Amino acid sequence: MYNTPQLTGDLQQGLDNLAEFGYTVVPDVLTGEQLRCARDALYRAACDDRQRQREQLTFALDYGEPGTNQRLWNVLSRDPVFEDLAEHPRAMEYLRAVLGWPALLGNLSANICAPGCPGGYLHADQTFLGEPWPEAGPQGLNCAWAIDDFTEDNGATRVVPGSHKWNRPVRPDEMSTATVAMTAPAGSMIVFESRLWHRTGANVTQDQHRAGIFAWYTKTYIRPQENWFLSLKPEVQQFGSDTMLTLLGYKSHGFGLTYGRSPR
Amino acid sequence: MADLPVKDRLAAQLEDHGFCIVPNVLSAADLARARNALDRGIALTRQQLGSTHIPTLDPNPSSIRVNNLPAMDAVFRELLLRSDALTAVELTIGPHFLISNFTAHVAMPGSDSMKLHSDQALVVPEPWLRPWAMNIIWCLDDVHAGNGATCYLPGSHRFHTADEVPADALSQTVAFEASAGSFIAMDGRLWHTSGANRSGQDRRRMLFAYYSADFLRQQINWTLTLPADLQAALDRRSRALFGLSPLGNTRLALELTTLPGTS
Repeated sequence: MYNTPQLTGDLQQGLDNLAEFGYTVVPDVLTGEQLRCARDALYRAACDDRQRQREQLTFALDYGEPGTNQRLWNVLSRDPVFEDLAEHPRAMEYLRAVLGWPALLGNLSANICAPGCPGGYLHADQTFLGEPWPEAGPQGLNCAWAIDDFTEDNGATRVVPGSHKWNRPVRPDEMSTATVAMTAPAGSMIVFESRLWHRTGANVTQDQHRAGIFAWYTKTYIRPQENWFLSLKPEVQQFGSDTMLTLLGYKSHGFGLTYGRSPR
Repeated sequence: MADLPVKDRLAAQLEDHGFCIVPNVLSAADLARARNALDRGIALTRQQLGSTHIPTLDPNPSSIRVNNLPAMDAVFRELLLRSDALTAVELTIGPHFLISNFTAHVAMPGSDSMKLHSDQALVVPEPWLRPWAMNIIWCLDDVHAGNGATCYLPGSHRFHTADEVPADALSQTVAFEASAGSFIAMDGRLWHTSGANRSGQDRRRMLFAYYSADFLRQQINWTLTLPADLQAALDRRSRALFGLSPLGNTRLALELTTLPGTS
């Protein structure tokens, strides 16, 4: 039905995939201990939220039974391993190539799609801009981390390959446009740009959870989803690298200033 | 401004010209408060930063800039939140906007022009089809061509791309004229520059209250800039206008709950 990109670790091939399909899958970025750490930390955070009734049961872009797609916002505050993802060198390569530098981290959120999760609504991430979208290309970029395998059956994010070229949001009568799953082995980084139509897939398995962590980056004129200055645990900026501080908006020019100057 | 015909007239002016002037809305008492507070702000800026000259904006130190007005005096917070000003902003941007910045520019005799720009063109990619920002310019003195009033390029709020700006744009600009106590509401797409103050004696004081659409990042990080006691004293709406909530650019995701199939 659709052509889809080959998995590739080559940056130029990945950028070509982004241009043609709107996304690319980079395999084996997280391996071994680092993948295990990220997975443990995410499932622990999700468990902590459930035990304390802190989880968000419904979200506008999900449908179906509350709780079948557990969302965790601001996971940057939950464990240092997520800091490593937010500023991962492979993610930064794509970020610099697609959006340029400096850029901002708008959010670092996760979802865990449980058996029975019916999936979510088709949307593009830069819809807030209103139409027409700029001709200058994508204004945001997602680097999604496959913490579990992303498969056809377990709720892998589904996309309309090439829809970024239409350069417009999904209209209400296009919600059922055919999609394909962005399948990827655990440890992959799935890069997709902000004009690509996508949605959470349905998890039709009996017993598999599908966890993904989504790093949402934008150009610097766009307001982040998180007000990091209120919501982030202090040590992230206390110990943050220049890259991290730039992504969070502590190293600023023209926006986000304090007393007319960059906060740090 | 609650008077509908007046509101309609303002809306029409904003649409046609990219600005409107609302004359003599400040009481004499408020005008005096604002002037006195600005004097204190200038002194404080000199004390804290050592200078009121921002070389990246202005060619010489006769242009005085004061940042962070809302932290300096209650009168500035009142100006930002005045219903007549907010009405003009809403007429232009729509209901979802934030306070982005609030600064003062005092043109002393000898001050010179900035570079011609539109506020939106500086930060937002082309095409510029809708107003995503607005300046409410509070005039603390009578402003006119001779004393450095802001100069605008007529009709330029309709430019969609930088290519449309004529080569001799600067010579086609026109100075705003307004009396002390008035405000000028200026569309973020209107190309403009500060005028040169050639009066020899008058200082020209203007305050620039800058508002922008809620998906745009604010120029000032109010969370870090406004003192905690001031933040705590703000009412709910004011906190929202300053963007002082943990949640940022998430309104649309919440509104999408009205998509077909949801209840």
